[in-house]
Amino acid sequence: MLALHGVPGSEAAVNRAWNLARSWELADGSVRPNGAVPDGTWVTALLLILADVRGVFDADVERSVGWLVRVVGAEHNLATRTFSALHLLKTKLDVSHQGWPWRDGNASWIEPTALTLVALKKVSRLHPNGEVQKRIREGEELVLARRCSDGGWNCGNPNVLNFNLPSYPESTALALLGLQGRGAQELAGPLAVAQRFRAETKSSLAKAWLSIALRCHGMNPEKPPEEARTSTDILLTALESLAHSEGNHQLLSTGARA
Amino acid sequence: MNRRKFLTVCGAAVAGTYAGLKLQRPPKLPNGPAGNSAVSVMRAKSYSDDLVSRMLEGIRQCGLDARGKRVLLKPNLVEFDSSTVINTDAAVIAAALEAFHALGAAEVKIGEGPGHRRDTLDLADDARYRAVIPGFESLFTDLNRDDVSPVANFAGERRFYFPNTVLGADLIVSLAKMKTHHWAGATLSMKNFFGIVPGALYGWPKNKLHYIGIPESVVALNRQFQNTFAIVDGIVGMEGNGPVQGTPKPAGVLVMGRDLVAVDATCCRIMGIDPEKVDYLRLAADLGHVHADRIEQRGETIASVRTNFALIDEYKSLRLA
Repeated sequence: MLALHGVPGSEAAVNRAWNLARSWELADGSVRPNGAVPDGTWVTALLLILADVRGVFDADVERSVGWLVRVVGAEHNLATRTFSALHLLKTKLDVSHQGWPWRDGNASWIEPTALTLVALKKVSRLHPNGEVQKRIREGEELVLARRCSDGGWNCGNPNVLNFNLPSYPESTALALLGLQGRGAQELAGPLAVAQRFRAETKSSLAKAWLSIALRCHGMNPEKPPEEARTSTDILLTALESLAHSEGNHQLLSTGARA
Repeated sequence: MNRRKFLTVCGAAVAGTYAGLKLQRPPKLPNGPAGNSAVSVMRAKSYSDDLVSRMLEGIRQCGLDARGKRVLLKPNLVEFDSSTVINTDAAVIAAALEAFHALGAAEVKIGEGPGHRRDTLDLADDARYRAVIPGFESLFTDLNRDDVSPVANFAGERRFYFPNTVLGADLIVSLAKMKTHHWAGATLSMKNFFGIVPGALYGWPKNKLHYIGIPESVVALNRQFQNTFAIVDGIVGMEGNGPVQGTPKPAGVLVMGRDLVAVDATCCRIMGIDPEKVDYLRLAADLGHVHADRIEQRGETIASVRTNFALIDEYKSLRLA
């Protein structure tokens, strides 16, 4: 839907998809990932992004914002924080910040936290809310605290059992999307890592996410020497379309109204 | 009692309890299900050996009948690093594909939902699956993004969703890699089933399972899916800081069996790990056989192929005497 937004002739298909996605909203504000699963998950953030792009902010969307504000990664509980303070955890993990899990009741990870940050930042531009701002700040701190020693981001922890984990291209791209609006100096290192990943990675998916992230930070990703293979994967095709210099990547920008 | 004295007493109590728990001898393992389990250990020095013949022999030794079955091969495809050996080798998957066709399976598919990386086909490219396995793309399902259906009461959840490709299989073959693991001690045929949990629903790296607890999740998955067979790629395994950052360790074996607990216990013994000290195997002791005297070793003996895998400090205590 983001990739087709504003593309002439796609209105009917996009509207159909929008109506289907809205039919998956639940009374508590969360959104189901598809018709077969009755519980809401991390995809709630995706629906909020779509709602913002379409200029929709009704009671259902407000409930979704409320749900995301309520949901906190489970590692932020008192017991884990106490264990962490006593250095009894097997990971060097800063659990003082509140991020978002893939599903309510689980620990927070980079990807759902980053996507929720994008959603809440977009929504809060026109509908400012103190609670939302607080969660945004907390979420950003969590992402920053989990940066790997090599400068980018892994899926979750930067270190396990005293071994540093490597960063991944796609996680780094998503983290940078979530951190839009932070100081240029603070993000100079991670952006350099993202550019290096963009030049080196072979993964079409990672290349697309990295291009989107770099463009949202006002950078022009260099074209890698070898271009991606063709694919029939709809998700990948949509991301590649968004990532294109003339694509809708700005819809994931939290800095300017789409 | 003043505050300082109170805190000292509390601290001593906590330390005492902790020490007590650490020093406590683990309870005796149950005997497991009735009867014995056959596990076949076949020697294979390299991936260019005739792996199909060895698999056919191992499967025969374990008495598996695959005729008419819809078989799902579940490799261990995690991520790629050219300096080590993270994934089930493509040659092992290609050989299993051929072997199960030869055994009369109605269909043989391949499915995996990598726990770390999102671009599964790119990962499969890196691991040379597309280059080595004939028709790979048409046989393969990314289980992270497959359609799902619920099962009831899995791991304490009223409804838990699994990929339809997995639920529709008559036989799931765990094509695991023989590796050490920084959370579980070892990752073998049973833990390989983490990859059947759909990431799109439960996150990467299968967040829900890590939250439930790794040993508990391994056992729950194997309790849920018992229409299984294991072929562990120990031709070149991984030692040290596995399952991703360890170093290659040639063990020169394929280990096979219908009882995945027994297969993993055997792999542990080959790796110089005491299976009775591995948490998930202890928890699984009612599902299959951990005790050596209940496992009928076919093919090579453990002693003839044992090669100690290096263990990180956290797991040095697992070393088999």
